[in-house]
Amino acid sequence: MKIKMEPITGHYGNFDIDGINHRIYWEEAGEGIPLVCLHTAGSDGRQYRALLNDKKILKNFRVIVYDMPWHGKSSPPQGSKVGHYQLSTKSYVSQILSFIDGLELIKPVVMGCSIGGRVILHLASDHKEKFRALIGLQSAGHLDPYYDIDWLHRQDVHGGEICGAIAYGLMAPTSPKEERFETMWHYMQGGPGIFKGDLFFYKFDGDIGDKVKQIDNSTCPIYLLTGEYDYSATPEETKILADNIGVDMVKMKNVGHFPMSENPKEFLKYLYPILNKII
Amino acid sequence: MFDKLSENNEERNSLQIMAKNLNTVFMISTMDNEYIIKIIQGLVSEVKIGPFVMPSYEFKLTASKDEWNKFLKVIPIPGSHDLIALLRRKVLKIDGNLYPLMSHLLYFKLLLASLRPTEES
Repeated sequence: MKIKMEPITGHYGNFDIDGINHRIYWEEAGEGIPLVCLHTAGSDGRQYRALLNDKKILKNFRVIVYDMPWHGKSSPPQGSKVGHYQLSTKSYVSQILSFIDGLELIKPVVMGCSIGGRVILHLASDHKEKFRALIGLQSAGHLDPYYDIDWLHRQDVHGGEICGAIAYGLMAPTSPKEERFETMWHYMQGGPGIFKGDLFFYKFDGDIGDKVKQIDNSTCPIYLLTGEYDYSATPEETKILADNIGVDMVKMKNVGHFPMSENPKEFLKYLYPILNKII
Repeated sequence: MFDKLSENNEERNSLQIMAKNLNTVFMISTMDNEYIIKIIQGLVSEVKIGPFVMPSYEFKLTASKDEWNKFLKVIPIPGSHDLIALLRRKVLKIDGNLYPLMSHLLYFKLLLASLRPTEES
């Protein structure tokens, strides 16, 4: 039987991040402008499987998706211990810059979702000269805790079950069942304490605060898109952020917190016009 | 409203595999009414309708009848589509011993969502 091959290739590389060797896995497809995609907290690069298979995008963009350290097929750095993982703004920005430098990417576009949608704000504030454009999905400058994240890492609660359950609710009920299941499944496969460790950045350390005022989008355009069913980074939160930066935001119908993964068909309708502006 | 949880329903019964070790009693309050739901080995075995004089239960979910109605629509609007979405909007209060709920969160989400009418009905 003939199988349907996908155009994606996977690679491993060793990157120096803050002086420590990290074995990182990434996937890529396409040619042209580098488009580096950042996955959400507690998940991995499989969230961008639709983009990596989209012929229209691959004609003009080299889509590159890496698994963050501790996530997916990327290893924890040497000497790591279970329960000690905590993502800080400094370490997140360092890993992105190290990845881009390691692959010798010149002026890539970076698109991130959720924590990725937050970190692009730090990239815009502190490193805008390195990027052609930045795209934030489900971006918010700040988030007040609304549930006790300690439940995400307890020895008496199955981490995969609870992380999957949290992710499940963040999706739109209108997104296709199969895509919702796969999105949830990625969460069910995360390591102990990793989702919670990422949320340290999302809910505490990564708060953009007054730094939002330093963002100047005149040389590095910023695009913000948020799904209407997201109750974590709500469209209202993104609107506040967009007003603070002085850019427009787009509210996406029929999607939630994981647009590229839970309902790629709907998401791509919103993404194509932005990518056309960037070309 | 929630008394229907005790009705035989294929979708609801299929959830048992996610909660075979779960035995608990919880309360749902609509503010003007109360329901006590007993679960044995992942199956709803009994639903009692209040008012109660001395109810005994492990945890309680409280939201207004209007919010529960929005939650139970075929396709709920954003912010009404998930228990944690209600919590985020501060229209749901969860209290008591949350361990049975949080250790089986997806089960409880799907159990309550099983009361949503299907699009055909």
